[in-house]
Amino acid sequence: MSAVTRLLIAALGGEGGGVLSGWVVAAAQAQGHAVQATSVPGVAQRTGATTYYVEIGKRDKKGAAPVFALMPVEGGVDVVVASELLEAARMVERGFVTPDRTFLLASTHRVLTVPEKSARGDGTANADTMMRSLEKCSKERFLFDMAETRQQVGTIVNSVMLGAMAGLELLPISKENYLEAMQGTAGSAANLRGFEAGFAIATGEREAPQAGDPKRAPRPMAADPLAARVAGMPEGARDVVRIGVGRLIDYQDVDYARLYLDRLQPFMESGPLLRELARHLAVRMSYEDIIRVAQLKVRPERFSRIRSEIGIDGTEPFEVVDFFKPGIPELADLLPPALGRRLLAWAARAPEKRGYNIGMKVKTTSISGFLRVWLLARMRFWRRRTLRFAEEQAQIEGWLKLVERAQARDPALAREVADLARIVKGYGDTHRRAVTTYRDLVERVVDPALSGDGTGKGVARRLKEEISQVLATH
Amino acid sequence: MERSFSEEIKLLSAGKGEVFRGEGILAITKGLLQSGVSYVGGYQGAPVSHLLDVLVSAKSYMEELGVHVEACSNEASAAAMLGASQVYPMRGAVTWKSIVGTNVASDALSHLASGGVKGGALIIIGEDYGEGSSIIQERSLAVALKSSMWLVDPRPNLTSMVDMVEHGFALSEASNTPVMMQLRIRACHVQGEFVARDNVKPKIGGIHKLAEPAAFSYDRLAHPPSTFVHEHAKVSDRRPAAQDYIRKHKLNEVFKGTRNAPLGLILQGGLYNTVMRQLCELGLADDYGNSALDLLVLNVTNPLVGDEIEDFCRGKDAVLVIEEGTPEFLEQQILKIVTRAKLKIEVCGKDFLPEAGEYNGQVVAKGVAAFLGAHKKKGLALAGAGRHVKKVEEALAIGAKALGGPVLPRPPGFCTGCPERPVFGAIKLAERDLGKVHVSSDIGCHSFATFAPFSLGNSIMGYGMSLASMAAVAPTQQRRSIAVMGDGGFWHNGLQSGVMSNLFNKGDGVLVIMQNGYTSATGQQDHMSSAHFAPVVGDKLDADIETTLKAVGVKWLRTVRTYSVEKMVHTLKQALTTAEKGLKVIIADGECMLVRQRGIKAERARLLKEGSRAEQEKFGVDDEVCVNDHPCVRLSGCPSLTTKPNPDPLRSEPVAHVNQDCVACGLCGEMAHAAVLCPSFYRAKRIYNPGKLETMVHRLRQTVISSLSKVAA
Ligand code: SF4
Repeated sequence: MSAVTRLLIAALGGEGGGVLSGWVVAAAQAQGHAVQATSVPGVAQRTGATTYYVEIGKRDKKGAAPVFALMPVEGGVDVVVASELLEAARMVERGFVTPDRTFLLASTHRVLTVPEKSARGDGTANADTMMRSLEKCSKERFLFDMAETRQQVGTIVNSVMLGAMAGLELLPISKENYLEAMQGTAGSAANLRGFEAGFAIATGEREAPQAGDPKRAPRPMAADPLAARVAGMPEGARDVVRIGVGRLIDYQDVDYARLYLDRLQPFMESGPLLRELARHLAVRMSYEDIIRVAQLKVRPERFSRIRSEIGIDGTEPFEVVDFFKPGIPELADLLPPALGRRLLAWAARAPEKRGYNIGMKVKTTSISGFLRVWLLARMRFWRRRTLRFAEEQAQIEGWLKLVERAQARDPALAREVADLARIVKGYGDTHRRAVTTYRDLVERVVDPALSGDGTGKGVARRLKEEISQVLATH
Repeated sequence: MERSFSEEIKLLSAGKGEVFRGEGILAITKGLLQSGVSYVGGYQGAPVSHLLDVLVSAKSYMEELGVHVEACSNEASAAAMLGASQVYPMRGAVTWKSIVGTNVASDALSHLASGGVKGGALIIIGEDYGEGSSIIQERSLAVALKSSMWLVDPRPNLTSMVDMVEHGFALSEASNTPVMMQLRIRACHVQGEFVARDNVKPKIGGIHKLAEPAAFSYDRLAHPPSTFVHEHAKVSDRRPAAQDYIRKHKLNEVFKGTRNAPLGLILQGGLYNTVMRQLCELGLADDYGNSALDLLVLNVTNPLVGDEIEDFCRGKDAVLVIEEGTPEFLEQQILKIVTRAKLKIEVCGKDFLPEAGEYNGQVVAKGVAAFLGAHKKKGLALAGAGRHVKKVEEALAIGAKALGGPVLPRPPGFCTGCPERPVFGAIKLAERDLGKVHVSSDIGCHSFATFAPFSLGNSIMGYGMSLASMAAVAPTQQRRSIAVMGDGGFWHNGLQSGVMSNLFNKGDGVLVIMQNGYTSATGQQDHMSSAHFAPVVGDKLDADIETTLKAVGVKWLRTVRTYSVEKMVHTLKQALTTAEKGLKVIIADGECMLVRQRGIKAERARLLKEGSRAEQEKFGVDDEVCVNDHPCVRLSGCPSLTTKPNPDPLRSEPVAHVNQDCVACGLCGEMAHAAVLCPSFYRAKRIYNPGKLETMVHRLRQTVISSLSKVAA
């Protein structure tokens, strides 16, 4: 056994990794060990990935400390503590977590990198692969969601990490000495809470936070006039269709939901396609026009969500300001088709008018602000007469036709054509660009495949790739 | 809101026999005071910022000691400051980040080194090289060599480092030569301990002032014909004197090997701990520094002492020179020494070690193992060495295999709520309408714009150099170009090198100056115009960028709040398209958020403690309204603006989400407007300890709203 225990802390700038390594140093000193810590903070302190390296050693007979190294070496780290999943994976990648030696204490939550969150679709790195790599490459491990823990007790993550290190007895340091080391640092009460939470989770006295289901239960329906028809849907799609029906009744009315079911009718026999189609169709039919946005913004559930987000109960005063910026296209959307088109044509002739927007900051917790949005939400009755409605329905019909034709040729292609719905999203300019991309893909890939006489196989793959490419763009 | 360094200042006043426990760079600072310095100066930059920060805020203690502290406006002025030691027998030290700072300082350094010094002159350079470095990878040894300044590269433990500070001054005095002391990043940040000595009040200083200036002495002036004499003195007098001192005080250390093998290692002091650890791993040393091989540790890498090298090499078959960086100056010199001495020895170095890059444990292990493998016959058991090298390689392979592909990088970026982020969003929006333009970047936080999601910046040529580096670009572009500069860079160098040169040459182009009030990237030091944001604190100057620019003749000048994105876009477009010729300057005004938040948080804590009314705001995204397209992220990249799994059972792609760290800088709302993004964003305000009336009004509103909501349902 080496006389030196080697600890590597991986964290993000701003998480207090430096303070954490300071605590370890002080605690190790109090324990009578020789200790040394180093780091390379540099500009990485600004939200980038960074590491801190600590060595704790026994003194020799003459009381001399070992010669400490200033940086970790691959395959030579005893304990790795990481504040986030990707950073833990980075330690694996760099060879600091090895099956013959390393105890890995890491948080399982993610802080997304910029490319992950700026993709048009889902750019998040595969968490399962990362989790598996942690399990495979560490000798022993303790993994839990430290971000949730620290949120629960209201502190920063470093104290939770220290508590867990103490609870797991990763270093030859007593709990008392850890606690002693934390005294006198700013915010010591909160630190203590974090430490105790981490400690208790590590020793099994407290349950580690469990990831909840991110999906929200659909809004309860007042009445369910279409229940019988939904019940008649194939089992594999029924739950989704039920949600879709509820969504569209809420969005418009029962007739509109009936239209939804009618539109699904031709696909009753299509197996897994039906489920996907039901999902996409409900989303497309509940497209976000001003009326819908207003409806969502004045909901009591929304306000209670915001309240819990800022941590207050039902009685405390709070304020919400919403940011709207309708322009000429949004106005045209609301007009009858002929009028709306005339307005757009007029705006198109004078490009500078395209930039006409009214930036509005509406305080929706005030009566007048709320009223304005509430009145807009009441315009549901008018929706069927608007230009946007006409356009959306035509597009939806066109898309469903394509899916149907594809289905007749090749189910794989049909699934991809259904999936095209994913790229038609966004507001304003982004939406208009998305529609253009959609049209382009249909013209370039789908149409030729459906009119030619070859099979769809290669086309399905190509379409899938093109869709994921569109969604991966930053 | 000032940062507090009271803990550090307490450490600095530790007396004889007390154990100093703290960071390397602070230990060095303590070493300066123990050496009786008369003055300390420098320019901030990682990894040495702390030295100056602490001394500047230890003002009253410094006055007590009679030590003058100067926060210089750049490294050139810091180097010139050492001129005091050229003329007077007093000790002085300056510090900066190297290689960049050394480059800026080199004019003054050459003059200083030519004339030589009377009092000890020490330059503490933070050798920002290797992992964690933020600058170009060059070594400072080259500068020391060409100017004949001595370079100290101590073993990276606090005791050695502090001892070498004191020796550094003495060496400087013994040889009339300025001494550079290089500390690598990790050495600056190493936490360790040493036994303190008393601080020494300088013989000449704030307390003991000189009655008369120095007598006129042309010999000292770096001016011909003295310069010709200096050139010779450097090699004939000063270098031998330095070598005598180094030899006499055993600044370089020989560690005798336990196995009497005819092999040896010669290494830079700064690499000692890395090499020792690897010897231990290879089975050639214990944990406490007892090595099987002979070691010559060069704590001074310029000048080398010929006979020390000769003595070490005599009787050996081969030595390995472990020298980080390129070219291999030490290896070449050692070769020359042994050749002249006609020793029969093989001098190895970069033939077993890589030519470029940091010498970390892995690199050293491989190099040493290869060197020993090639000289096997000398009877050292090498089985352990092979195992260790293999283990290191395997560790990397296992990780790579388990992950199946590279882990996403996470470079540093703008802080949450940073005032500079909106400006780059605005440039992106302006480019959307006008087309891409050449963007000349600079050094500072704003260079983070070269990362995603902005990926803006065609060149980086040095601190304060963006406008100057655009001089030949702008005239060749159909669209106007933009140079971005921080206020730190503006005062450091940008005003002269960029603005004045542009005006003098009647240049064109757009200069955006990020006025955040501090040199933020190096840790929020004050500069000439810091008073712009914090006019009441301390004794700051009230210099002002706008006035300065007007005074030198800038005609087209706008100041725009950074967060006003629409206005910024408009102003940028104007600047890029106006028919008016000449330099167009936009001052992008917004205080560093780190500094601002320190103030805001403290104030809120105070209000809450006394039970008074306080507010806290945050932005949010309505996850039902968000259609998971994320253009907001592509225009911001704020760490707080992220995504989360979609709560809608019908949708699969993640929705935008503002997390709890949001400081409500306002950008999200401004951007939603300026880019006409979406109606998903809201700003929510929590009110602590509300007044009675406020609560009543709120209740009334809530009653009306909830009855309206019922109608809606
Ligand atoms: S308002 Fe937006 S940009 Fe500003 S701090 Fe909050 S999330 Fe970041």
